[in-house]
This record gives sequence, structure tokens and C-alpha cells, in this order.
Amino acid sequence: MSDPISLREAEKKAFTTLHNDGLWDIMIGSILLIIALAPGLSGRLGDFWSSAIFLPVWGVLYLVILWVRKSVVAPRLGSAQFSQRRNARLRKLTILLILVNIVALVLGSLVLVLGWTSGWLVPALFSLILVGGFSLAAYWVDMNRLYVYGLLAGMAPLAGEWLYRQELASHHGYPLTFGITSGVIILVGIGMFIHMLMHNPLPTPEV
Amino acid sequence: MNDTASPDSHLQSLAELDQIIHAPARLMILTYLYVVESADYVYLMRLTKLSWGNLATHLGKLEEAGYVKIEKEFQGKKPHSTIRLTEKGRAAFQVYKKSLQQILDDLPD
Repeated sequence: MSDPISLREAEKKAFTTLHNDGLWDIMIGSILLIIALAPGLSGRLGDFWSSAIFLPVWGVLYLVILWVRKSVVAPRLGSAQFSQRRNARLRKLTILLILVNIVALVLGSLVLVLGWTSGWLVPALFSLILVGGFSLAAYWVDMNRLYVYGLLAGMAPLAGEWLYRQELASHHGYPLTFGITSGVIILVGIGMFIHMLMHNPLPTPEV
Repeated sequence: MNDTASPDSHLQSLAELDQIIHAPARLMILTYLYVVESADYVYLMRLTKLSWGNLATHLGKLEEAGYVKIEKEFQGKKPHSTIRLTEKGRAAFQVYKKSLQQILDDLPD
């Protein structure tokens, strides 16, 4: 029996319309940027601080994104409260992403303790975690471009390791491959944000 | 599937559809309101591609029928309206959707 009104498609469009402003792409890209920049900083700051220094940067960026969403995006795209089903999916996504991070941390620690840092195991695990995390996110929030981001991010550790072994890049190639990946994602985000601004001028105020 | 239904009975069924909902613009508005808890004017305008005036007119008719509830408030100095489907609107939409589906399924190939 065909459905004359697809509520699933309507809900998907309702959700993605409000989240196609590119801001989360910029946030995701900037999170991946740490993997590109941290190896270069670790010589001066040490392994811990070269990563930890980005936390306040992310905090500020997150606040800026919230501010831009409230004062620039909301007046142009409006606002909506989504159904409990959608909110439940977002909660599940958050929990799953936290679990993925915990698994990554445990596996990373095990690899370091067992001294398996010289083979392909680390890049392969890293790649799997990135592809898995992005794919879960893409599935739960109905955003197909996250699958592409997952593939890009998943290829970065493997391509980086290959470049490193060919002596074409330093630091397992991460500054180069993650730099390109994060750069692409941030550029897509900026492009989407500009597109949103151009196609959604401020409407006439309510009277 | 009812193969014995005459074309006239299908047309009669179409005429019996809720005409408040049957207008394309209002059907669009109700569909989107059905899948969200609430939305504001700008958001509905972007989703439906209706002009401000058109949207206000259709929302007025839906509100008059008791299908939507429009809550007006001020955000700072700016007026802001939040629109949500009422229980009556939700039930009417479900009946409409079911009826339309039945009509389409009963249509001869």
C-alpha cells in the first residue's frame, strides 16, 4: 500500500532544513583539526597539553556557534521543537558517541601498553572507529553527508601511515591527511553557511 | 481493494474529504506540524515556501477550525508566534490521511 503522505520524509525534511546551516560541519572539522595540529605541538607542549589546549578553543567555538545560531540562523530559518522520537534518537546518538570514544580510549591505551604502535593496527583501528562513529551519527540524524565525512576521516589514518612509510610525511602523515580532511569539512560548512545566508534573507518581521 | 466501486463513488469520497485540510498549502502546513511538537512562522514559511501573508491566511483558517493553536509572545521587543497542532487537528489529519490513502488504493489502474 503506497503512502500518499510520507510522514518520515516530512520529518526528515523538517529536521534537516533547520540543521543545514553548516555550523556543525565547521565544529566537526575543527575537532578533526586537532589531530592534524596536535603532533606538531607535542614537541613543545608534550602529548597531553598539545591535545588539552584545544578544549578551551572548542568551548569558545561551541559558544560562538550557539550565538550565531541564535542571532543569525534562527531569524532566517526559524525554530521548531522536534518530536520525542527525534529527541530520543539524538540522546541515543550522544550515548553511542560517548561509548565509541570510551572504546577508542581503551583500545588506544591497550595498544600503547602492548607496544603495537609500529604496525598497521593503530591506523586500522583508528580508521574503523572514525568510520563507525560518523556512520552512526549519519544514520541517527539522517544526514547523508556524514557518511562521506566518515569515509574521508577513515581514510586519513591509513593514507597518513602509507605516506609516512614512504617517507613522504612526518608524524604518521596525520598533519597532512587530517589537515586536508578537516579543511574539506570546514570549507563545506562555510559554503553551506554562506548558501544559507544568501538563500534565506531576513523575513519581514511579524506584526 | 474494492474493485466494484464505481467512479462516482470515488468522486463522492473525494468530496467527503475534510476540505479545510484538502487545500495543498494547508495540507503541507499540517503535515509539518504533525511531525514536530511546535514551530514558528519563519520556520513554516521556509519549509512550505509560502509567503508571509499566505501562511498567515492559511494558519488563520486552521486556527478557526480548531486544528492549530497559535501562541503569541514577545521575544524582547519582537512579537513571536509558536504554532502547534491541537488534538482535534491531529485526529483530523489522521482521518484525512487514512481516507486519502483509501481513495488512492481504491482507484482503478
